[in-house]
Amino acid sequence: MSELKFVGKSFKRKDGPDKVTGRALYSEDVKLPGILIGRVLRSPHPHARIVSIDTSRAKALPGVKAVITVEDTKGIKHGFVETPRYPADQEVLARGKVVHVGEELAAVAAVDSFTAQQALELINVEYEILPGVFDPEKAMDPEAPKIHPSHPKIADKEPFSNIGGKTECGWGDVEKGFAESDYVREDRYESQLRTHGYLEPHVTLAHWESDKLNIWTSSMGTFVKRAKLAKTLDLPYSSVRIHKTYVGGTFGGKIDLYSHEYCAARLSILTGRPVRIVASREEIFSAYRHSQPLIVEVKTGVKNDGTIVAQQLRVINNAGAYRGSGVVVVFLAWGFTMAPYRCPNLKYEGYSVYTNYTVRAPQRGHGCPKVRFAIESQLDMIAEALGIDPITIRLRNARQPSEDLPNGDNVHNGNLPECIRVAAEKSDLLKKYGEARKSPQTGHIRRGIGIGVSAYFGGSLIYPNSSGVMVKMNDDGSAIVLTGAIDVGQGAETVICQIVAEELAIGMEDVKIISSDTDTTPQDIGAWVSGMTYITGNAARQAAGNARAKLIQVASEQMNAPVEDLWVEDKAVFNRQNPQQRMTYDQVFAASVATHRGDTIIGEGFWRTMRDVPTHPSLATTKGRWTENYAFSAQVAEVEVDIETGEAKLVKALTVHDCGFPVNPALVKGQVDGQVSMAMGHAFMEEVITRNGYTLNPNWLDYRMPTIHNMAASEDADVITEEYRVGEPYRTKEVGEGLVSGILAAMANAVYDATGVRLYTTPFSPERILSGLKKLEPSKTTGVRDQQSPEVL
Amino acid sequence: MILYDFDYERPNTLQEATALLRQTEGKARLLAGGTDLLPNMRVQVLKPTMLISLGAITPRPPQAELDGSIRIDALTRLADLENSEFVRREIPMLAESAHVVGGNQIRQVATLGGNLCQETRCLYLNQEHDYQFTAPCYKRNGDCCYPFPGNKPGTCWSVYMSDTAPALIALSANVDIIGEAGVRTVPAETLFTGNSLEPLWLARTEIISSVVVPPIPTGFGWGYHKSTIRGGLEFAMANIAVALWLENDRKTCAGARIVVGAVSEGPLRALATEKSLVGQVLNADLLWKAADDASNEINPLPHHGFTRNYLNENIRVYLRRTLITAFERAYGMDA
Ligand SMILES: Cc1cc2nc3c(=O)[nH]c(=O)nc-3n(C[C@H](O)[C@H](O)[C@H](O)COP(=O)(O)OP(=O)(O)OC[C@H]3O[C@@H](n4cnc5c(N)ncnc54)[C@H](O)[C@@H]3O)c2cc1C
Ligand code: SF4
Repeated sequence: MSELKFVGKSFKRKDGPDKVTGRALYSEDVKLPGILIGRVLRSPHPHARIVSIDTSRAKALPGVKAVITVEDTKGIKHGFVETPRYPADQEVLARGKVVHVGEELAAVAAVDSFTAQQALELINVEYEILPGVFDPEKAMDPEAPKIHPSHPKIADKEPFSNIGGKTECGWGDVEKGFAESDYVREDRYESQLRTHGYLEPHVTLAHWESDKLNIWTSSMGTFVKRAKLAKTLDLPYSSVRIHKTYVGGTFGGKIDLYSHEYCAARLSILTGRPVRIVASREEIFSAYRHSQPLIVEVKTGVKNDGTIVAQQLRVINNAGAYRGSGVVVVFLAWGFTMAPYRCPNLKYEGYSVYTNYTVRAPQRGHGCPKVRFAIESQLDMIAEALGIDPITIRLRNARQPSEDLPNGDNVHNGNLPECIRVAAEKSDLLKKYGEARKSPQTGHIRRGIGIGVSAYFGGSLIYPNSSGVMVKMNDDGSAIVLTGAIDVGQGAETVICQIVAEELAIGMEDVKIISSDTDTTPQDIGAWVSGMTYITGNAARQAAGNARAKLIQVASEQMNAPVEDLWVEDKAVFNRQNPQQRMTYDQVFAASVATHRGDTIIGEGFWRTMRDVPTHPSLATTKGRWTENYAFSAQVAEVEVDIETGEAKLVKALTVHDCGFPVNPALVKGQVDGQVSMAMGHAFMEEVITRNGYTLNPNWLDYRMPTIHNMAASEDADVITEEYRVGEPYRTKEVGEGLVSGILAAMANAVYDATGVRLYTTPFSPERILSGLKKLEPSKTTGVRDQQSPEVL
Repeated sequence: MILYDFDYERPNTLQEATALLRQTEGKARLLAGGTDLLPNMRVQVLKPTMLISLGAITPRPPQAELDGSIRIDALTRLADLENSEFVRREIPMLAESAHVVGGNQIRQVATLGGNLCQETRCLYLNQEHDYQFTAPCYKRNGDCCYPFPGNKPGTCWSVYMSDTAPALIALSANVDIIGEAGVRTVPAETLFTGNSLEPLWLARTEIISSVVVPPIPTGFGWGYHKSTIRGGLEFAMANIAVALWLENDRKTCAGARIVVGAVSEGPLRALATEKSLVGQVLNADLLWKAADDASNEINPLPHHGFTRNYLNENIRVYLRRTLITAFERAYGMDA
């Protein structure tokens, strides 16, 4: 390990100077002559039949260059998931009916925003209003308004309406398990609608020029965007180029195809001019994709010592009006259930239910926080009922290193028990736990502590399934890396450069990166299946190693020394037997060109997770392997609650995680803190407030994300079980999204510890906490007037 | 983006500004910091035909008058108020109430006059109406109300959320208003109509020129609290301003003002409770009871996701705390 010079070190970000000096170009900063402004016409109804759309007046408006509706498209559908079971289900513009408020109906391109706005107002749409349904359980009712037909495979067996998809699986025999349990309990947990909160809005610039579609768009994966755009436009992939731009945050909300991206492209093709569409923040809140609110019903049976015997889950996802990633989240919810703890008998059912809400997207953690909130809350309740402490019950059930998982995956070196032990020790949880509820307390602030654990997958198989990287040597010995990986703020470019610098033994400043351009860089999985550092990182390692091997080969010929004796250091190849004998890379390069038919030394690498597994696991049955490695974590939260007002806040967070080898510890720490802050928003502040599918708080003032002042002290400790070996495959694991989960559960458990109030619904608003406190001590309720208060507004 | 055309003027004096307001028959709006006006124009709650920028007029710094009152130019930026040594020393409650408005960037441009004259707010109002809530509600000159459809037609329950107004009312401040007939002076609390459609008794041609805080009585104490979810960059769930002043014995209440804002069409005073405190020898129990009484007197409107029940609770608890703080300050426990 000690000889590592670049990986494992907290190098400054490659993109840092550009971003802090304002030089970084985001999609909106790309200027082309003759740009037209695109705008999208959206549905004012949650559910309605489109009787007619008349665009003639808009088209006639001077300054309007093109207007499109679904009639101007090829009618090719797309979907977040496109499999035989779940084929593409969404058109790029509404056809026949609208199914959510803000659904895209038409788009215009005009010479300026003012004209574009006027054009939208001139489009006449006649609707026939249909009844809407917003609560997923109501939507499942056979009598509910039908948004889309239930999935045929499910409709055959179950009477429910509006089922977009279902995941069903299990092992053992839960009934027998519950019968053999000493203690069984059943609880139901719910989560709110939350948005991602990326600062850069959705922006797309499209320019059709010389039979080529050039796109600059804020995304999480340019190759996915290319595939979906090319498909819906019916163009070969080679005719679509997604350019690199900097990206101002995504958190899951910029994957998949968005209608405005198609519209900008189509409008540019029609007009031959560049077309830009920028989504307003209001649009993002009220018409774009948010995360998926889950209802999680858990029944767990345990032995008296806390050993889990059986677990049964029923998860219902309010999936919005198209399939989106709704069927993925109900698959993943199973994975996040079974990964951390052993459970010999499991029955899992997850329904993805259509409602007249906007389509859903993944959000950092993709279901995991909601599942862990449920299971970890319930586990604490079980522990309390059995008189066991929260650490013992978790250690009793935590998966051990090298354990096989029921789906054929393996824990490898992952060490959850160690994470739990370190978390308990560092936080002194066992000493603090229960204090607030024991001794007589004074004042109105109660402090509580709680723990939650989680496990997250590190890369899975989903299009494009693999990453390629090229490393080109320059004749001065420096290198250019070509990678499709996209830096969405997580530091992808920095990490890849560190790996290349390490493998080639050149300086960080000697590595320049060209990234995420679909024409000039190799295909890449993108920044959205938690596999970038592992998959693209290994491809980069291979590419650099490949270049290194060529350098060594040439040097070996020149130095007349066997390849085995040669190694690299400081931009030079040297002979281990005779360190005086060395050739600098520029010399080697020149020799290669001279003696190897002009070979300019280009290294190639590619990587795929689970290379022997043909495809991703079944979304319907979970059969098949899911991932190659799991990152485990245990997180502790300390909260303070004002018991008179119900106001609560996180004051201290501890994250103990096994993220595999940390290529850049400072970036790991950034991920930890970012996730703690995001979970804090989930726990205490954020909610997209809706009424009948309309959004009431589509702005940053009324949707309250935490500010820097809300951030709690966040400490972390790693239990690293993997090491980096130069020239060998190495394991980094996931650290970008798994850590929003344990800490959420920990906050719920800490609120309970502080107050005795058990919360089943996020966010833990002052009102919810206070009403819980009142239920505990009804006698203390004084001075509240009995008023008819309208519903929450 | 503001998607319509309007005129723009930048007069050098308030007199010129009033003249422009008169010429446009009240269809123009004054542009002070613009932090309330411009967002409201963007969501088309307001559609002035002309903006009259006050940017060319330099506010006079806060100063003491001969009678001991303090005059604050209405164009004073909130950041200057909160950072003024003088204001912090003489009227700390006002500095505190300015400090909790928005975030620093807002306060660097927002003015005191603009803060008082801000529009009322409602979740159904403060957003673009391109495809959501497209039919205009009463506040947008339409004929419906989304959250309170059962109300009498023409009733709007959007809430007035100024953070400084309750403090000014608790301080018994007056405002000077320049209008056609010259300058008139009115108590700050009489500015409010109680009707969210036209929340202020201020003609469209009038300008608030300054705010005058009368001399602070001896034995004075204050308490101010703004309830929020995230503690900043946020409008209030409720804001509370309390002023108490004591007799020379430093125990008996000589006067009290209890004001609760952001939960109604205008700031609310708990007049009966204020009166009941006068002449009483104050102690914690009494102040607790006063808080309960005052919160019963205040009838908050549910707003921004908060139920009336919870607002009641929150106000009650913070009234207790601010009353105790005010008493402690008056008593001199907090120097
Ligand atoms: C992100 C954000 C957060 C905010 N948070 C808060 C908050 O926490 N608390 C709060 O109270 N407000 C808040 N506001 C609202 C607003 O910023 C403040 O009320 C601010 O003080 C308004 O002052 P201004 O000078 O910007 O007013 P402007 O927007 O310039 O004016 C507001 C209105 O008053 C009129 N006006 C201005 N000056 C005068 C005058 N002298 N005489 C007569 N009429 C006048 C204008 O014509 C206009 O109608 C927030 C706004 C934003 C955008
Ligand atoms: S309360 Fe007022 S602003 Fe809100 S919808 Fe009703 S009329 Fe409009």
